[in-house]
Amino acid sequence: MPSEALNHSMPHIMHIDLNSAFAMAEQQARPSLRNRPIGVTNRISKRCCVIAASYEAKAIGIKVGMRLDEARLIDPGFIILESDPPKYHHMYRHLARIMQSYSPVVEMKSIDEGIIDFTGTDEHNRHRPLEDIGYEIKQRVQSEIGGWMRVNIGIGPNRFLAKQAASWHKPDGLDTLDSRNLLEYYRQIKLTDLFGIASHYEARLKAVGIYTPLQFLAADADMLRRRVFKSVVGEDWYKRLRGYEVDDQPGKLGTVGRQFVLDIVGNDGPALLSRLHYLCETTARKLRYRGVDARGILVWAQLQSGESWYQRRMYKTTFYTNDEVYRRALELFEQRPKTSPVTAIGVTCYQLTPSQKSQVSLFESVNRQAWLSQAIDEINERYGLFMVASANALAGHTHVKQKIPFGGTEYFKLLLG
Amino acid sequence: MNPYQEINERVAVVATYRVADSISLCYPAKMRWRSRDISFVELGLRHPTTKGNRMIHVFDVSDGVNDYRLEFDAEALTWTLVSLRGDM
Repeated sequence: MPSEALNHSMPHIMHIDLNSAFAMAEQQARPSLRNRPIGVTNRISKRCCVIAASYEAKAIGIKVGMRLDEARLIDPGFIILESDPPKYHHMYRHLARIMQSYSPVVEMKSIDEGIIDFTGTDEHNRHRPLEDIGYEIKQRVQSEIGGWMRVNIGIGPNRFLAKQAASWHKPDGLDTLDSRNLLEYYRQIKLTDLFGIASHYEARLKAVGIYTPLQFLAADADMLRRRVFKSVVGEDWYKRLRGYEVDDQPGKLGTVGRQFVLDIVGNDGPALLSRLHYLCETTARKLRYRGVDARGILVWAQLQSGESWYQRRMYKTTFYTNDEVYRRALELFEQRPKTSPVTAIGVTCYQLTPSQKSQVSLFESVNRQAWLSQAIDEINERYGLFMVASANALAGHTHVKQKIPFGGTEYFKLLLG
Repeated sequence: MNPYQEINERVAVVATYRVADSISLCYPAKMRWRSRDISFVELGLRHPTTKGNRMIHVFDVSDGVNDYRLEFDAEALTWTLVSLRGDM
């Protein structure tokens, strides 16, 4: 591919992104909050973080990730609300339904964004330009989900450029990026405005004299592969920047886990273990939900002194039941330093393989564990999650709130029970 | 710190049902709560959720001044005022 060759094909990917999704959903539901700086968090406390901020909050400098006390220094009237997963799930389903009415190839990237691939849909969409369809989607979001809702829409020849286009003019923008305006667009932005280029990659690019997106575009594929990214990732970037598709491969499930910023101060006692137990039970439930078994487990803790600690272990046999995950995690957790109170804990299972649980074991005790686990899942699916659980984990369940999945949409069903 | 007051009281609701509407077919029009009649002027959002296997429809409504969260239990056929925001 010559270094200057851009993808000149017609844009056929549309990226749709709900603006400040959770905050806007709350403003849609509660009219008295509209035009006001508000935020959403998982559990309200003095130390809680803003996980979504309304545009009015962003306009006065309140950012996602900021602590509530910092946000209140900027605006003492800043309103914080606890997240409401069923509400966001409802919006997600509505948005997905609207998108699916235009093409059979719709991929939801997370709870508030997704892409439509319009390849082969000209007849179905009556040969209308994608910009017209984009404006129609904006109108449908307002009439079918709520009049306060706004979406950013980006159109491009690949997923990357469609996403870049969707973030070009926020909020409520609609832009197309293709070979006709790509160079002008790259001229206006910084390296870190490119999705996937954060400070770490920026430093690598600068180390070889690449300071702008235009210089990045002009760089040789071989140089990007050998000197900057040191892998095939460099070639992917070479193609991605020019509008060729490299991001349409499904991701592989690598780890499954849970973490929790503690609501108590201490490094011992049943309260801490009940929270760990709860995290283990929900992690095991996720393993079964995804149909995988694990061989490795990692437990970590953040200490008040600023130190962090972790311990991990690989096992010869796979595991997936609540009891197996908790016993293994507890064995590792007992090795933590006890010099300072713990502020956050987490459990991660790795080395995942397709589930073997349909195979009946020669050992009766192993079968009994599997049957118990299956029976508990069936009861909980029918009557609600954590209707039946270990007594120790139930105490944790009342304190650990389910988080909103930003990265993927795989666990919605588990959030809603 | 939470601006919402938890109420969780059973209320009487008059609802209207529309033939076709993309946002919701059912609209709570007014409710009687603590001997007061409150008329709603806007439905912010209606979304379903579950409590175990029970289907619950959540209605966020406004009387123009205050916001109310009402839940309709589709199994027990009851309305509950869950919370409100405003000066009541």
